[in-house]
Amino acid sequence: MQEFVHFLQHDVLARISPPLGALPDQIVLLGAILVGAAPIVAFMAVIAMAWTYGERRIAGFIQARYGPNRVGPEGVLQPLADGIKLLAKEDIAPAGADRPLYELAPLLVFVGALLPFVALPFSEKWVISSMAAGVFYVLAFEAIEVIGIIMAGWAPNSKWSLYGGMRLAAQMVAYEIPMGLCLLTVVALAGTLNLGQICQMQGGAFGVGNWMVWPWVSPFATLAFFMFFVGGLAATKRAPFDLPEAESELVAGFHTEYSGIRFAFFFMAEYAAMYVVCAVATVCFLGGWHGPFREWLAPAAGAPTISDLLGKAVQVKTADGAWFVWANLWGALSVLGKWAFWKPMLYELLGAFYLIAKSFFLLFVMVWMRWTLPRIRIDQVIYMCLKVLLPFSLLCVLGAAAQTVFTDWNLLHWLLSAGK
Amino acid sequence: MQTVWPLFVYLAAAAAVPAGMIMVSFVLGARHSDRATGEPYESGIVSTGSARLRFPIHFYLVAMFFVIFDLEAVFLFAWAVAVRELGWAGFAEALVFIGVLVAALAYLWRLGALDWGPKPFARLSHSRHKDS
Amino acid sequence: MLANTFTFYVAGLVAVAATALAITGRNAVHALLYFNVSLLATALVFFTFGAPFIAALEVIIYAGAILVLFLFVMMMLNLGSQASEREREWVRPRVWIGPGILAAILLAQLAFALAHGAGQGAGQASIAPKQIALALFGPYVVGVELASMLLLAGLIGAFHLGRREAPASKSLEKGDA
Repeated sequence: MQEFVHFLQHDVLARISPPLGALPDQIVLLGAILVGAAPIVAFMAVIAMAWTYGERRIAGFIQARYGPNRVGPEGVLQPLADGIKLLAKEDIAPAGADRPLYELAPLLVFVGALLPFVALPFSEKWVISSMAAGVFYVLAFEAIEVIGIIMAGWAPNSKWSLYGGMRLAAQMVAYEIPMGLCLLTVVALAGTLNLGQICQMQGGAFGVGNWMVWPWVSPFATLAFFMFFVGGLAATKRAPFDLPEAESELVAGFHTEYSGIRFAFFFMAEYAAMYVVCAVATVCFLGGWHGPFREWLAPAAGAPTISDLLGKAVQVKTADGAWFVWANLWGALSVLGKWAFWKPMLYELLGAFYLIAKSFFLLFVMVWMRWTLPRIRIDQVIYMCLKVLLPFSLLCVLGAAAQTVFTDWNLLHWLLSAGK
Repeated sequence: MQTVWPLFVYLAAAAAVPAGMIMVSFVLGARHSDRATGEPYESGIVSTGSARLRFPIHFYLVAMFFVIFDLEAVFLFAWAVAVRELGWAGFAEALVFIGVLVAALAYLWRLGALDWGPKPFARLSHSRHKDS
Repeated sequence: MLANTFTFYVAGLVAVAATALAITGRNAVHALLYFNVSLLATALVFFTFGAPFIAALEVIIYAGAILVLFLFVMMMLNLGSQASEREREWVRPRVWIGPGILAAILLAQLAFALAHGAGQGAGQASIAPKQIALALFGPYVVGVELASMLLLAGLIGAFHLGRREAPASKSLEKGDA
């Protein structure tokens, strides 16, 4: 982000007009993030809409029936229609509800679900803030969501909500531990908490040879990947762990009383949380943006970056009059005709495509599981967490750490230093 | 230097979207007040009593175990970043650290504290009956 | 730099205000949520001081884990309107004046220390997680091992405190919520 601000200040604004280049960092950053945050918030909305449709179509396919297929071609406009419908619905609160908390809870869950996107990379360079403790932050933001869910369960003064909210909160906090430990397995192998760096080291042969999930990289990470995915199913209350909103016993769990747009927030937050789990799994275990053929597009050392090209293109020699904005625009557009611009662009785009495609495959598996496995009981949920995932994830961390130290361990060096 | 601005502005943008949606919904949404509008939904049965219920002790135990294992995980997070630099000495230290907690886990497992069911801690009460 | 100082003061003010509201609030759940805001603001203060690891830790441990525990306990204790009535009776000058005076003495000490230049400004160099790891498992390793003992005691203590003594409350014995 700092680089980007620097680029905006020195290469774009200053070249358009010197006073613009003298704007303070914060103002430029503000604009840059607002411009950057909008696509991500939009991306999340698109994910939620695409998957409400996708889930119903896949469910239809698995159960040998049609999904939604009337609104638009093959029903693709169904989520849009649903969105408009939800916007136009009445926003009801039960009489006994704790009004401020009742109204705040869905917002907290929604914003909590959006927050991990700050540290989550979409491609090698496309990340809002490449945080040194990125893995840690993604886990921390999940904790904020739990508070929102407890509030949503408690505030409406409804029994179904309370039961569902408590079950979900217990389940989410319980599974946060094994999930964290599974990520720790990767951290121990990679030696960094930065999601981008973890992803960067997983290239290998043909862009697929070095993924953490492969047993030849580390058998412990292979095991950790599957446990992380199971934990992710539980933390996002997906089947077979969907008993916090078991329709047959709890109506709809913690969002029983919510209607209209506030219900939609929970719904979108669920799909966003699913995407976050899948994207984190992809970045940490499945090589993230690495994939076949991407290396062919890798920019050579010293090649001009996208920023450089754009910066040069918008530069104008005679800065006066109204035509000069258009000259800039023309310069910026002329870049589009250059392979030197498209090569790094395609490099990033292909990376983003691989990352999102792998995440979507994991999302598909989540949906597939929902229509395949029966719901399990709460004692089985806790059994799974405390007696299966927790011991095995601890084992994975220790194993991965031992592997890291062992591969680095030079016996001779050690003996020599001990002899001194 | 760490700057919090990206986080801040992103947070504001993330909060502005739902706020806007609520405003649209406020304009478009219906409003009515019937006899049963404010009643909590209990599958069609008239609600009785408050929903401020007491909860089984399991939830407290799960939350407590969570807090403790979370703290353990935080120490391990710190260790995992520097596994390479700390070497076998660090590995041994972490092994002791985990060993102590695994011992606690094994103890609780044997007592049945990790079970969640109609008869919690069955093994504990069973052994008590035998003692007395 | 200026932005960090500004953030520090805003976060600090939010933390103080939220804490005050948490102490004076009568509704236990509302008070807890104010407490949560205060913890998040404190995390932000850590962040401005160049300690991102500790900031994330504050959110995970305090705002995430411990607050969830508190909320669970609040809900299990079934605190309704009668509880906030009782709270009103409890919070009387007689009760808070003693701790208040002691806290005021501490505040005066703090102000004295700050006035004599013991404090440092915001915007220090950022501390990487790796440095923390090397310190924790290097010179402070005894503390880490002792912490594991403490966690052991906490784990076993929590279970034995939370376990049901006799089958006294049969109605609740049905287990699952």
